[in-house]
Amino acid sequence: MIRLSRSVAFRLALTSGLLVVGAIVVVSVVFYFGTVGIEARRIDRKIALIADRFSDSAKTNALAALAQRVDQALTDGIDSDTEIYYLADADGHRLTGNIAVTDADTRTLDKIVNRTVVRAGRPSFARLLMRRLPDGALLIIGRDMGDLNEVRNLAWRSIITGSLLAILLAIGGSLLFRRQIERRIFAIRHTAADIEAGNLSRRIPLSGDSDEFTRLAQDINRMLDRIEHLMDGVRHVSNTIAHNLRTPLGRIRGQLDEALRGLSTESGFAAVGGSAIRQIDDLIVVLEKLLQIAEAESGTRRQPFEPVSLKDVIVDVVELYDAAAESEGATLTWHADEEAIVLGDRDLLGSVLANLLDNALKYAGKPAHIEVTAESTADAVVLSVGDDGPGIPATERTRVLERFYRSHHGESGSGLGLSIVAAIAYLHGASLRLEDTAPGLCVRLSFARTESATFPNGNDSSMSTTGERI
Amino acid sequence: MHLLLVEDEADTARYIRNGLKESGYTVTWSGQAAEGRHLALNERWDLIILDRMLADGADGLSIVAAVREAGVKTPVLILSALATLDERVRGLRGGGDDYLTKPFAFSELMARIEALLRRSGLRDDARQLAVADLKLDLSTRRVERAGQPIALQPREFRLLEYLVRHQEQVVTRTMLLEAVWDYHFAPQTNVIDVQISRLRNKIDKGHTLSLLRTVRGAGYMISAHD
Repeated sequence: MIRLSRSVAFRLALTSGLLVVGAIVVVSVVFYFGTVGIEARRIDRKIALIADRFSDSAKTNALAALAQRVDQALTDGIDSDTEIYYLADADGHRLTGNIAVTDADTRTLDKIVNRTVVRAGRPSFARLLMRRLPDGALLIIGRDMGDLNEVRNLAWRSIITGSLLAILLAIGGSLLFRRQIERRIFAIRHTAADIEAGNLSRRIPLSGDSDEFTRLAQDINRMLDRIEHLMDGVRHVSNTIAHNLRTPLGRIRGQLDEALRGLSTESGFAAVGGSAIRQIDDLIVVLEKLLQIAEAESGTRRQPFEPVSLKDVIVDVVELYDAAAESEGATLTWHADEEAIVLGDRDLLGSVLANLLDNALKYAGKPAHIEVTAESTADAVVLSVGDDGPGIPATERTRVLERFYRSHHGESGSGLGLSIVAAIAYLHGASLRLEDTAPGLCVRLSFARTESATFPNGNDSSMSTTGERI
Repeated sequence: MHLLLVEDEADTARYIRNGLKESGYTVTWSGQAAEGRHLALNERWDLIILDRMLADGADGLSIVAAVREAGVKTPVLILSALATLDERVRGLRGGGDDYLTKPFAFSELMARIEALLRRSGLRDDARQLAVADLKLDLSTRRVERAGQPIALQPREFRLLEYLVRHQEQVVTRTMLLEAVWDYHFAPQTNVIDVQISRLRNKIDKGHTLSLLRTVRGAGYMISAHD
């Protein structure tokens, strides 16, 4: 029973069962008073009416005439199986009537009372009105209630039996309902326990019908899919990071080991040392980039975002890369709308553009034409870097955003550039698209439109400019 | 030149001290935050080098704050493994004059120390800068070498100005990126090298004395001496 009381399903079913029982009781009571009750009141009124009629006639007529009228009423065949009459003179001698009266309880005179009388030789339950007539005679008018009582008993029996049956059904239904729900929940709990034990690929089995539990199970399964995907991602990232650090570390270690075992000359030793430092520096750069990605992906920054003009960023970064482009034989052009302003971090946006230009210079071939644009449209600010190189095959376009994935295996590079771009885009709430411009690749970052008028005071820089005005 | 180094890791401290001593600086080393704070506040230094995460749980930034509160204007270089942009900004806003993340190349540390020492002594209101026969007019933004005008783009002018202000000193690529472009990321391509070689083409081509030199493994230096 303790387990039952802890079951929500059982409590719910029982409560609704009891409500049904309550409703049955209410309906029965209303029905009872609407039928048996009304009939009883009608009988009482009729008794009183007859009694009044007889006492009225007793005022003007002799007792014998009254007795005759009673006899007449008893023999007229109307209501003869239920009506009760009795008339006795002032001395208590019975004049006429169809019941035997042993004691006339004078305390209940002029009131309709329940009394057991002997009628036609058998006791029967009756409603009686006793009245003393002006000359001292006793008149009793009544009705045998046997039939109505039977109806009444029947009604009560039905109500009680019905209620008991309803209660039993409620309890039985609750148990059944609980078992059903328990079975469905067990499937979910079983799966959860399995997943907890490490079997991440387990899913809740779905039943055929599309009820609430199936829909809940579908939701949970979808959530589990997503979590498993993320877990795979984390595992994959950890593996690739470990691999990408282990390989150069192994190389450095091997070179140093070789040098120490006396396989190098003194100048060779210095070369090995220098090479080790260079490779370690490269590793430090990789770590810095991973940190930058992690920082951006965590989505939390203590420094508040400020309105940044993409035009300024483009001018800065293009001026940083123009010499490099020139030496690579590439042409670098740009165009930027003055209104291309986004809420962001200037350094990170600069880093995005630098990474995209790095990629374009490295992979677009020669002589490449690279175009940087910042456009302000009605609902977005779009920063794009396009080139006329070979582009990225459609199959690799999502993979290139993964850490350490390199589309051009022959070239040098950390394989982190586009991961950084993706992470920083994510931090800025910008969508990142790689488009095939045949020929070439166009990387587009769409930032949500921010009205420059909407952030006049929300950040440090504008605070300080208003501060100066004061 | 007398430098204070507050660094709790003995190996790193030894590495820095040895390098600085080799370059002719005297270095006082403290491995504890409390002692370091006491030394920073009560003695005169030409430069303070501070680690951020000190052994006793103290943040080197609290020492910078104390130093600045006491009105001491000694340049402070913060050294830290806390490498994110946010931490760097915190360090610089907290009173540091420069922020270098670990691990670092000694040449980078040296270049930054020299820049800081020079900066504190240099007058910023100079109108004209010169190295050998190369002259920069900061108000007209004109450049000439041996009397011949040289056309420079605005950014090239700033690059040259920074190099000339730090003449006879090594400046690293990172320092140039930070000072001339005000960015704190490491570009993959050797963008700074190409910028420098283009600038070198403009100022040194046709002259026997090359002013703008590459310092191997460290960076660049503009110098009037051969």
